[in-house]
Amino acid sequence: MTLRVQYTAQLRTVVGHAEEVVELSEGTSLAELLAHLAARHPDAGSHLVTNTGQIRPSLLVALNGTAVARCAASSTTLHEGDVVALLPPIAGG
Amino acid sequence: MQPSPELTPIERDRYTWQMWSPDFGEAGQRRLKGATVLVSRIGGVGGTAAIQLAAAGIGRLILAHAGNVRLSDLNRQILMTTESVGTSRVETARQRLHALNPHVEVEIVPENVSEENVARLVGGCDAIVSAAPLFAERLLLNREAVRQKKPLVDSAMYDFDARLMTIRPGKSACLACLYPELPPHWKREFPVFGAVASTVGALAALEIIKLVAGVGEPLDGLLTMDLRDMTFRTLAYPRRPDCAVCGSIGKGDTAHGCE
Repeated sequence: MTLRVQYTAQLRTVVGHAEEVVELSEGTSLAELLAHLAARHPDAGSHLVTNTGQIRPSLLVALNGTAVARCAASSTTLHEGDVVALLPPIAGG
Repeated sequence: MQPSPELTPIERDRYTWQMWSPDFGEAGQRRLKGATVLVSRIGGVGGTAAIQLAAAGIGRLILAHAGNVRLSDLNRQILMTTESVGTSRVETARQRLHALNPHVEVEIVPENVSEENVARLVGGCDAIVSAAPLFAERLLLNREAVRQKKPLVDSAMYDFDARLMTIRPGKSACLACLYPELPPHWKREFPVFGAVASTVGALAALEIIKLVAGVGEPLDGLLTMDLRDMTFRTLAYPRRPDCAVCGSIGKGDTAHGCE
């Protein structure tokens, strides 16, 4: 399946682009996608997952425009055409 | 909030154009006059919020921000002036806001929000604009606002990205629902155009005006703005029932349970 992943704020800077297309097998979970992205972009890895492989608690994840709870990441399966937006914490004032 | 005070004839004249807003009117203006709003930091975001709140006629503003104006502040901190470089930020802001609207009482606190002052600062206000460049300050202010059940508008930006969240303790998610850890990657210095900071600061002021006057609907969720392409989205973000800050208070939509 083909997914679109969107990077915002500092993640956009670290990854170097705002969006990319990712090919993964149907039924891949959101947690598996994040692990895949962390491996694909080592500099962004710790923004996405902790050193124990859990989703970074302060990373906001939106699937097709709806926020997904971190604990639901493993049980959330992805489908063809899904758009995953990754929003790192920002505090500029 | 104190009972809505009467307006003077000069105030009726000053606020004429916004009192034409049919849901707002003189009753709304009197509610603004009776309110005290705390603005945590008056940089690019909070400075714009403060000037808009002063223009709108909030009765009393408390401005908390340590330090002196630097030349490199001036691309975004619109309350500051070139002449004020090297002098107190909050004192400069007080003079600017007084020049704009002498009817607004401005209390200045030359300190950033800290464990030592947060209870007093929050206790002295009716609503809060949170605009510090550090998560430690934002999360501390959020914790105290939830404890004292004061509404707080968290307004933040980075480069062309901006976010806004209106926190109504016990009714909506709080900042710790979003960020249950101190984000380890956030850096104190960040790319910023004044126009981006002012955009989110003006929206924060508008949320405060709506909350205080009781008009419109408060922002429900997290507003995300990508100002590169003007994409605005509101992400639904229910409370986390296990939130260490707000999980035990009130009732609300708590469908977002986690850890």
